Amino acid sequence: MLSIKNLEAGYGKVKVLHGISIDVPKGQVVTLIGSNGAGKTTTMRAITGMIKPTGGEVVMAGENISGYDSYQIARLGLAHSPEGRRVFTNMTITDNLLLGAFPRFTGKRPKGDIKHDLERALEMFPRLKERRNQLSGTLSGGEQQMLAMARAVMLNPEIILLDEPSMGLAPILVEEVFKIISSLKSQGVTMLLVEQFAAAALEVADYGYVMENGKIATHGPAEKLKVDPAVKAAYLGGSH
Amino acid sequence: MEILAQILSSGIAVGMIYAVIAFGFQLTFATSGTLNFGQGEALMLGALVGLTCVDTLGMNYWLMIPVVCAFGMIQGGVVELIGVRPAIKIKSEFGWIMSTIALGIIFKNVAENIWGRDALPFPSPLSTDPINFMGANIMPMEILVVFGALAMMLLVEFFNRKTIFGKAVVATSNDRDAAGLMGINTSLVITFSYALSSLTAAFAGVLIAPLTLTGATMGGALGLKAFAVAIIGGLSSGLGIIVGGLILGIVETATGFYISTGYKDVPGLLLLLLVLAYKPSGLFGKSAIKKV
Amino acid sequence: MMKLKSILPVLIAVLALLGFSLAVHNPYYIHLAETILIYIILLFGLDIVVGYVGQVSLGHAGLFGIGSYTAGVLFMQFGMPIWVTIPAAIIVTAVFGGLLALPALKVVGPYLAMVTLAFGTIVQILINEMTWLTEGPLGIKLPLPQILGTTASEFEYFWLVAILALASMVVVDRFLKSQIGRAFEALRDSPIACDCMGVSVYRFKVIAFVISAGFAGLAGCLYAYSEQYISPNTYNYELSILFLLAIIMGGRKSRTGAIIGAAIIVLLPKLLDDVHLFRIVASGIAILMFVGSVVAIGKQITTFKRVVIPLIGTVGLALFSFWLENIADWRLSIFGFMILLVVYYLQDGIVGFAKSFYLALSGKAKTARGDMNLDGVDDSVSFISDVAGQNVGEELLKVDSVLMQFGGLKALNNVNLSIKRGTIHGLIGPNGSGKSTMMNVLTGIYVPTAGNVLYSGNSVVGKTSSDIALSGIARTFQNVQLFGEMTALQNIMVGLHHTFKSNLFEIALHLPRYLREEYEARSRGMALLKFVGLEDLANEEARNLPYGKQRLLEIARALALDPELLLLDEPAAGLTAPDIKELLRIIRKIRDSGVTFILIEHHMDVVMSLCDTVSVLDFGQKIAEGKPAEVQADEKVIHAYLGT
Repeated sequence: MLSIKNLEAGYGKVKVLHGISIDVPKGQVVTLIGSNGAGKTTTMRAITGMIKPTGGEVVMAGENISGYDSYQIARLGLAHSPEGRRVFTNMTITDNLLLGAFPRFTGKRPKGDIKHDLERALEMFPRLKERRNQLSGTLSGGEQQMLAMARAVMLNPEIILLDEPSMGLAPILVEEVFKIISSLKSQGVTMLLVEQFAAAALEVADYGYVMENGKIATHGPAEKLKVDPAVKAAYLGGSH
Repeated sequence: MEILAQILSSGIAVGMIYAVIAFGFQLTFATSGTLNFGQGEALMLGALVGLTCVDTLGMNYWLMIPVVCAFGMIQGGVVELIGVRPAIKIKSEFGWIMSTIALGIIFKNVAENIWGRDALPFPSPLSTDPINFMGANIMPMEILVVFGALAMMLLVEFFNRKTIFGKAVVATSNDRDAAGLMGINTSLVITFSYALSSLTAAFAGVLIAPLTLTGATMGGALGLKAFAVAIIGGLSSGLGIIVGGLILGIVETATGFYISTGYKDVPGLLLLLLVLAYKPSGLFGKSAIKKV
Repeated sequence: MMKLKSILPVLIAVLALLGFSLAVHNPYYIHLAETILIYIILLFGLDIVVGYVGQVSLGHAGLFGIGSYTAGVLFMQFGMPIWVTIPAAIIVTAVFGGLLALPALKVVGPYLAMVTLAFGTIVQILINEMTWLTEGPLGIKLPLPQILGTTASEFEYFWLVAILALASMVVVDRFLKSQIGRAFEALRDSPIACDCMGVSVYRFKVIAFVISAGFAGLAGCLYAYSEQYISPNTYNYELSILFLLAIIMGGRKSRTGAIIGAAIIVLLPKLLDDVHLFRIVASGIAILMFVGSVVAIGKQITTFKRVVIPLIGTVGLALFSFWLENIADWRLSIFGFMILLVVYYLQDGIVGFAKSFYLALSGKAKTARGDMNLDGVDDSVSFISDVAGQNVGEELLKVDSVLMQFGGLKALNNVNLSIKRGTIHGLIGPNGSGKSTMMNVLTGIYVPTAGNVLYSGNSVVGKTSSDIALSGIARTFQNVQLFGEMTALQNIMVGLHHTFKSNLFEIALHLPRYLREEYEARSRGMALLKFVGLEDLANEEARNLPYGKQRLLEIARALALDPELLLLDEPAAGLTAPDIKELLRIIRKIRDSGVTFILIEHHMDVVMSLCDTVSVLDFGQKIAEGKPAEVQADEKVIHAYLGT
């Protein structure tokens, strides 16, 4: 579904990614973990057009999308729930969700039944349903994270990218978030999950990549990575 | 008492014009963080094109309005394409400030050469007999100005809230990157906001033209005062600019009456300086938090 | 210490003026040259705001007008002679410049442009309306001034203006090359870093406007006598735009640019009045442009795509001039058009373009901005104030129950820290835990919602960043905040600003105290560069340095403040392994001379090997503290990072 080969990217003079290769097969949940500063969010941004890669390529469903603008990539069916949530704070939950389906309104993606999908999304996230007409800027961090994920689902996407969904959330909310990710997984949604919290991510994923200093340090099936000491070392230093 | 009523009524009409031009500033600032320093000239061109339609082409005032609005949209699009888009691309604030200034100067000069340097009268679509209300003489056109301005702003608000495209515009102003992730072509949104901004300015032009004289120089002072209103009210608050516009309109009219017409423009400008000195985000705006 | 290089421009100018006055006797041309010289003086001042502080000023015509009218009013109402009106015009306009700066303090960009526009408009209105003082629209007539008892001739007045223009050039140049010019550029490149290096942004914005206004006032005064008649409608918006066009077209941050710009805006209208001459000149430029493009594309200096628009523009202009009979009416459009072209295609002005064209043609690489004379500079001086041995172990900084709340978000929630002198104290925690917020609170960028911060027993809450920096706390930034357009050495010398006590007069006249301070600062600056291994890059623009070296430069700049406490915000971020080794060495060396550190880092290896104590933040609260190894093994910390 999504294939990244030798991706290189950075900000101005600073090169952050030094050749990343990741594969996300259809129907699977792949996770990208690593400590802060490893380059995970940069990878996400390079995939979804928020920054332009300086080398390598990004291929989605057979199409080379490296260097495309964000809106073009979204129209191809890639939904991104970005780091920091980035919900539209001066708009209601309902409006945020409708905007998630924007390309469906304009005919760039198969229309389907938007109203029906809106109700279905609210069912999946009961906290949001209670507050459907509330301005999203007044929601708590956890609720905003739910909204960002629901918004991504509204696209009826081929693949969802989740960037650090647990960031800034209290542990109990992190549990809720990961429950929802599991539920999406059981519905067969393809996902690329970037996380700082390695433990939770490896619980829900099929396959994992560990990033360190802009490179993939190690990768393998999630089961194996759960017990690999290299993972802890990547975060807290120590022997490699 | 009568004087007060007169000052209020004239001030409100003038103030609403400022508000509607300031509204245009808000539209582009919200989506792109840029402004058209030639906004006054957009108004002036609208008024003059309207004059040509009504005088030379013999069009009916009401039919002329959509024509002028269409012209305004094209003019706004041109400004964005030539002046603003290249500057946003190279992230140069200096770039769009200077190029919108330059375009404003060019438009004014072109207008001078086409329509001449004299101020021209604009035929009023409504009766020029003033209505007497609470001792004040109110021109029917002034009432039209207030309603027209409010109607325009409400229309845009409606568009923003009820249509998906309007929501896309609001989303772009809230968070441009996230809007892009939703599949919204944010460059197009910015072009559209400039087109809409010039449309509102051109519309304001044909509203105010029958009340004053129309000419190539009418844009300058109006543009600067509209900017003052946008700053005083706060560039992020729609209600703020209406309040700001009314304050400025009334204070200005009062100054013109009590001190002299020459000094009319001064209080607005002083107010602008005061607001920028003490609360740059405006009376109704929200201050931004510095992030290092 | 006058070298040939610095005298040369003045020499050339003097020779040019002499040559001109000997060759030309027609009063029309003398007056034209006089006007150019007067505009040059104003543009030197305008360049301070536009080129050095980097802002758009739409109000300089107003300042120009204040200068003219000060002279006019003093002459008309009080019969004052020129040796009174000139200083009066300078001072009065400078005061107005200060007034203009006040609403401009907190704003930049389009807001600042609007402040200047409002100011210029108010000035014009006031001049027009205060007829009891200024005669309003009627204007004021002035004869040529009395110099040494007799009325000056055209020729003699020309020389007065020329001498003052020369003096202005020297004085402006000296200001801009001194610590004042560096402060201006610092405030343009990074206002936050500027404040944190002890250079108050507010203060220097005012100084920039005051000096700029002073020059505008001088120009205005001379203009009044030159024109022998002044009226309010001269000093309008279009004139301010014309001044801006001159600076951008000539070239910012350049005396030559101001000279070229002034010549263009004075001569251009004359050119436009004569349509035949204009056609010849426009065609000439179009042909030059065409030939130049072909050569440049041939030599692969540029591509067709990049030149096509300016080419169409200049050719179009030439064709346009043939189509029209009367160009003068289109004068403003042509100016507007020129602004558009220059803003996108000639960003460094004619001067900048000429420099790069020459460099490109001759195949030379862009030379470093080698303004600094480094001969004889003594870089072995000690550069760190030695605070070693001073009460090691006593508490230097105390963070007392600090709460930092933004709306509903508690970025720092009741945090307590105790930083001991002579130690390296690490501050770690996951993303968003509040580490950078803490840095910003300590350096005065944020004022804590509650709680206190005590530095050597004194509270720093509510103090400005600039004052905090000067009292001994220096910092680096997570996203490098160097003064990009300045050289490495100049960046450090901004940090050394606090060592300069000399005033404007001492700088203008190059008096001994200023020269000594400048020399000592350069020596110390070079010593600091040597310490971090960047001495060979002293004259390289900071933005061109490799990332790793930029980080080291930032540390050296912070050291220039003679700090007791150094805050480093992720110094190892983005560094390669050898760079990190070098970083560790440098930090240890600094620590050995007694400086205390607070270090934010994600690189655990760096934290482990450097820090004496480590505090861990999570969600704005301190969750652990102790020796590095203890913290590394702490369950709570592992959970915060990994979630296990």
